[in-house]
Formats: sequence, structure tokens, C-alpha cells
Amino acid sequence: MDIVIRAIVMFVFVWFVTRAVGRRELSTLEPFDLILLIVLGDLIQQGVTQNDFSVTGAMLAGGTMAAMTVLFSYMAFRFPRVQPILEGDPVILVEHGRTIDRNLRLNRITLEELAAQARLQQVAQIADIDWAVLETSGQISVIPKQRS
Amino acid sequence: MPVSEIPDELTLKLNRDREGKRDVVTRRLMVGAIVVVLGLGLFNLFGQHPSTTVAEADAATLEVYAPERVRGGLFYEARFRIDARREVKEATLVLDPGWAEGITINTVEPGPIGEASRDGRLAFELGRIPAGRKHVFFLQLQVNPTNVGHRSQDVRLYDGEKLLAKIDRTITVFP
Repeated sequence: MDIVIRAIVMFVFVWFVTRAVGRRELSTLEPFDLILLIVLGDLIQQGVTQNDFSVTGAMLAGGTMAAMTVLFSYMAFRFPRVQPILEGDPVILVEHGRTIDRNLRLNRITLEELAAQARLQQVAQIADIDWAVLETSGQISVIPKQRS
Repeated sequence: MPVSEIPDELTLKLNRDREGKRDVVTRRLMVGAIVVVLGLGLFNLFGQHPSTTVAEADAATLEVYAPERVRGGLFYEARFRIDARREVKEATLVLDPGWAEGITINTVEPGPIGEASRDGRLAFELGRIPAGRKHVFFLQLQVNPTNVGHRSQDVRLYDGEKLLAKIDRTITVFP
């Protein structure tokens, strides 16, 4: 029983940490972020399974994590008011070529980072962006202005 | 270049102006909560820095040096020091069951002359301690991961059947 409780507690803790840290930091998957995620996973695994090396224990812990993922996803789908709490809202960063500085600042995104994301999506100038949106996944989606 | 309408499902009020949204404040509070917990950890709230507890008696002084807060799975040491003012003929250290309940005793050094149960407690017979001499006794322990909560870990020093000194202590095990 305790392994299921530990898995639930750690799932909620991971959700809490990722919401607290912010969506950008854990979504870029740069080398440092990747290593951080692996280390975090290892630390969490030790807390959940502790000295239990059994297949049963692994199935219980893994099953609990999967069930919690489905539960959170279902809650976000079923209850629209809960979705922003669980996943956050998309945030507009650029509107018709103008940056929304407050939103950039609050999400700790620099102009250089925004420009880099734009370049990755084949947009050379921020002024050429129609809409840039920080999605709940942490990715920045860029919609370029239509060329006439 | 022509511009397009706002993407579907987004609104300027919610997604640009963040009206009525307190997510930034919430996020800062969440980070603050994490920092507070880390700070408490730095100040030993979750163990396992050892502390010293002393009981003075006419015949001897009993000192216990061990953590009072530990976490599941951790190894730790408990040190018991007896300074005899007068000769203690049959020094016996009696520990509450909380010293062994959910805690693995890896080793006991130096090995006692005898071990027994005294009214449900663990009794380690240490033998004779001459006046002015000391006896130091170590327990090497490991907390079993599922052993969460508080346990009484009182320590009593006897000379035979006569109680010389007692230390009241409690251990808290964090998950």
C-alpha cells in the first residue's frame, strides 16, 4: 500500500515543482535541462521504490503514475475550470509584430530566446511574427504574418 | 504584410492581458513554499544532525549522542558514553523498543557481555566500569523506509537492578 501512496505523493510533488519552476525551463531540453530531468527522475524513483526491487513494486509504482497521469488529463478535459490550474493557459508573447513585454518578463523569456524560437520556425524578424504564443507545453508557437 | 485574427480558443483578455489571472503570484508562492522547505531542511528539521543529551547522577553521567530526526533508509550512529564517578559493578544500558522497531541494528560495538529483554526493553550488559573511567558504546543503525512517525527512545543506565540515570528522548522518522 505504501508504495502506491508514495507514488501518488511524488506525482503531485513533480506536478507542483514543474508548475512552480515554470513551463519554459523544463521544456527546452537543452543538455543541462535533459541531465536535470534525468537526475530528477532518479531521485524521485528512489523516493518511490526505496528498497523495493521487486517486479510487483515496479508495477505498482508505474501503474500509479500512469493512473495519475490519466486522472489529471481527464480532470483537465472534463472540468474546464480545472484545466488552467493543472496545465496553465497559453500566453500571447507577440501580437502583430509587437512583443508583449509584460508576458515575456513574467515568463522569463528574453528577446534573444524569442528570436531564436522564431528562427526555428523560419521567421527571421520578430516584426514578421503575427502571433507568438507560449503554449501550456512550454513550446513557443509562431504564426508568421501572411505575405500578400 | 496583412495580419490575421487571433488564433482560435485564445482571447486577448485572458491570454494577452491575463485579466483575473494570478498565476504569477501563485507560481511565486509555490517557489516560496519550496524554498521554505529547503530552508527547514538546512536547519535540520528533517534530520539527521545528531544532538547530545546528558543525564547526571551521583554514580555516573550518561550521555547519548544521536540524531532525533531521521529519514527512511538512512544510516546513522548512536553513541552512548558512561562516565563513572563511582564504581558501577554491573553497568547495564536499557533502551526503549523504539531503538529497534523499524530500525535495523547493523552492529553494536564493543560487543556487550550479554543482551536480554528487560520488561520489553533492550538490555545491554556492559560489565564493570571502575570509578573515574568511562565506557563508550556504539550502535550503527539504519532506518527501515516504511518506519514513519515518532518512537520513544528513552535510555536508562542501571547498576544491576538499580536505576542510576535516565534520558527521555523521542525519534521522529520522516518518510
